[in-house]
Amino acid sequence: MTVRLEAVSFRYPTAGVDALRDVTLEFAPGGVHLVTGRLGAGCSTLLLAIAGLAPHVTGGTRLGSVITLGQDPATEEGRGAVAGRVGLLLPTPWTQLSGMAHTVAEEVAFGPANLGWERERIRGAVREALRLVDLEDLAGRDPGTLSGGELQRVIFAAVAAMDPDIYLLDEPAMELDPEAAGAMYRFLPALARRKTVILATTDLDRAVLVAGRVVLLDAGHVIDDGDPASVLGALRAVEAGATTTVARIAQRAGAQSPLPLTVPAAVARFAR
Amino acid sequence: MTLGYLPGSGLLHRSHPLTTATLAAVVSVLAFLLPGPAGPGMLVLALCVIAVAAGMRRVLLTSAAFSAPFWAFLILIHGVIGGDFATAAALAGRITAILTVFLLLLGSVHPGRLVDAMLQRGLPFGLAYLLAATLQAVPQLQQRAAAILAAQRCRGLRVGGSLWRRARAVVPLAVPLVLGALAEVDERALALETRGAGSETRRTALEPPLDRPGDRAARWLLLATVVGAAVWRLLT
Amino acid sequence: MNELRFDDVWFGYGDKPVLRGVSLAIAPGETVALLGRNGAGKTTLTKLVMALLHPDRGFVWLGDRVTAGRTPEQVASRAAYVFQHADQQLFARTVRDEVAFAPHQLGLAPDEIERVVAQALRRVGLERAGDQHPYDLPAPQRKLVTLAAAIAQQPRVLVLDEPTQGLDAHATRRVVQVIRALTTEGVAVLAVTHDSAFVTEALDRTLVLSGGTIVYDGPAADLVTDEGRAKELGLEVPAQVRLSLELGLDGRPVREGDIAAALRRSWGGGRPER
Repeated sequence: MTVRLEAVSFRYPTAGVDALRDVTLEFAPGGVHLVTGRLGAGCSTLLLAIAGLAPHVTGGTRLGSVITLGQDPATEEGRGAVAGRVGLLLPTPWTQLSGMAHTVAEEVAFGPANLGWERERIRGAVREALRLVDLEDLAGRDPGTLSGGELQRVIFAAVAAMDPDIYLLDEPAMELDPEAAGAMYRFLPALARRKTVILATTDLDRAVLVAGRVVLLDAGHVIDDGDPASVLGALRAVEAGATTTVARIAQRAGAQSPLPLTVPAAVARFAR
Repeated sequence: MTLGYLPGSGLLHRSHPLTTATLAAVVSVLAFLLPGPAGPGMLVLALCVIAVAAGMRRVLLTSAAFSAPFWAFLILIHGVIGGDFATAAALAGRITAILTVFLLLLGSVHPGRLVDAMLQRGLPFGLAYLLAATLQAVPQLQQRAAAILAAQRCRGLRVGGSLWRRARAVVPLAVPLVLGALAEVDERALALETRGAGSETRRTALEPPLDRPGDRAARWLLLATVVGAAVWRLLT
Repeated sequence: MNELRFDDVWFGYGDKPVLRGVSLAIAPGETVALLGRNGAGKTTLTKLVMALLHPDRGFVWLGDRVTAGRTPEQVASRAAYVFQHADQQLFARTVRDEVAFAPHQLGLAPDEIERVVAQALRRVGLERAGDQHPYDLPAPQRKLVTLAAAIAQQPRVLVLDEPTQGLDAHATRRVVQVIRALTTEGVAVLAVTHDSAFVTEALDRTLVLSGGTIVYDGPAADLVTDEGRAKELGLEVPAQVRLSLELGLDGRPVREGDIAAALRRSWGGGRPER
């Protein structure tokens, strides 16, 4: 298992309630794992716990055990072992800039440089990463002059440059316009063939096209875990406010679960 | 009128960041060492020449705009009321000189290059990063402050008018600015931690800025000027 | 009388023209989506509505008065703006205080303020969060607080900038409900958005800004069902519309409720499975 959580509860420092309650989950290597629920259900916190950032950077108390790539990422030892092997992408592009790079190439090189790689290796990694996101011709630009969509792709490249084993994506397309958002999601299936991608989002109409497995959270609890059709197509998902537009409409029209999740699925089932 | 980095390729941009930083430090010290108002006056003049030569005339406008209230205040207090215009000019001149040189520094040294330069000299990563983050924050804060002002005005916040009214307007303007900045710091910490920012490994310097003989000479010259001025003051 | 009118408005930054002769009129109760590519001038247009900017040529009318010579503070009793990022305006200790800010600035009497705040909070579904600190609420609810704060201004024109960004389905539905309630009261709503599902659900009319002028003005339903045109504008045809079109539902409904009703009808009230 790439990631294993056992009976994990987590509470932020000034919070009155737990953000995660008794969560037991496993993430097998490879594939796109979707974590979803109403906003506030604990999806972002789950990603932070997997990275060890909760509690290491956020503070707060964690119960239970988190094993990421064979280590507890919140401990001193675990952090060192996991460094550069877990990549995180947050919703807002500009708050992820290092502030120390005056070109896109430098921004992408930030992670590898911090890991102490030699310059040749860094240069190669940067080239590869920019090619992956199709931004090679912006390598010399000042990150401050880029649009939201381009910036988020740069950060994606910056994460990819370290070649992590796990990609944690928290609402990666939230600040992007529809075109850029679509492009962001289109990277994922190819990436997931070689890496483990854990995606937290409420943009289910897009996510359902790339996810192979869905974990449904509600108020910090795991309430369902399985393949998209059965998890998102269940009444439970509609009630939790975590399903696709098509499924929502189908349920409203009186269809029974498992509800169809996409237009083609609905047409196959309902067309006369 | 912008604070912060201005893209360019002039004299100061091409200098090693430490050279420009040394200039800032030296000018600040000289501003106090040299007797006023002629001393600060000459410094300001020298800085104007440097600014024009470096293609950074805009900085002079910003500096003038920010200095103006100080000039007005000091001329009022020391000049009109105290009858001593020379002191007013000396104090105001010092402020202008220091302000101008720091604007030149901020405007010509990209935070990233300053960090690389500091790391080259062996300074700890945390300190270098803190400095870079602070420098980068300035233009961002400016933009955000403008956005906040617009939002609150659209809710009926009156700016201008009596001092009391202005004072009351500070809270709805300052609170979102500070809270927003703090929240950003939190978020950035998460993002950068996963990109190895906190790691103990020694960071690879990507493209360390060139420290040319001209730079080294300039720094020695600047230091010599300060020492010379200090000695001269002691002797007179 | 129109709630909002632009009479041949020209505006530029320095010598860079952004709006070149924009004319539009929005009647009471109309809900309008302002669309266009990034950089087309949508934000500039909304700033002109709020008197944050003034036209170089032409006039912006809010009701029976022009914005010329007026400040945003003065215009606040007539028009309200919900900015894209809630955190750019939240500053009060409680949600209630936050929502009461504008009415207080506008000089309403204390009991009037109380009434208006309570109603606004009820509308966005935050009536029980009145005493909470805004920053203790999750992000989508913070955005609803700023919406409540704008409603509390009792504006005749409500301007929204990307109102559904960062919201989940539940909060989005709230925003849609709020807009529908406001329009029955004659409030004119102008929303800058690229969320085509939201446009379909909440807005009746679409204005497209391109090259500094309005190049398209038509019913929202027409635009979202036109794949070619939508694509040109960087919009997607929302899933619900594709569903309706591919199932060939009677009357080509585009709103979720109407589609569900049409589906149910097409099954003759019986089981939908084949």
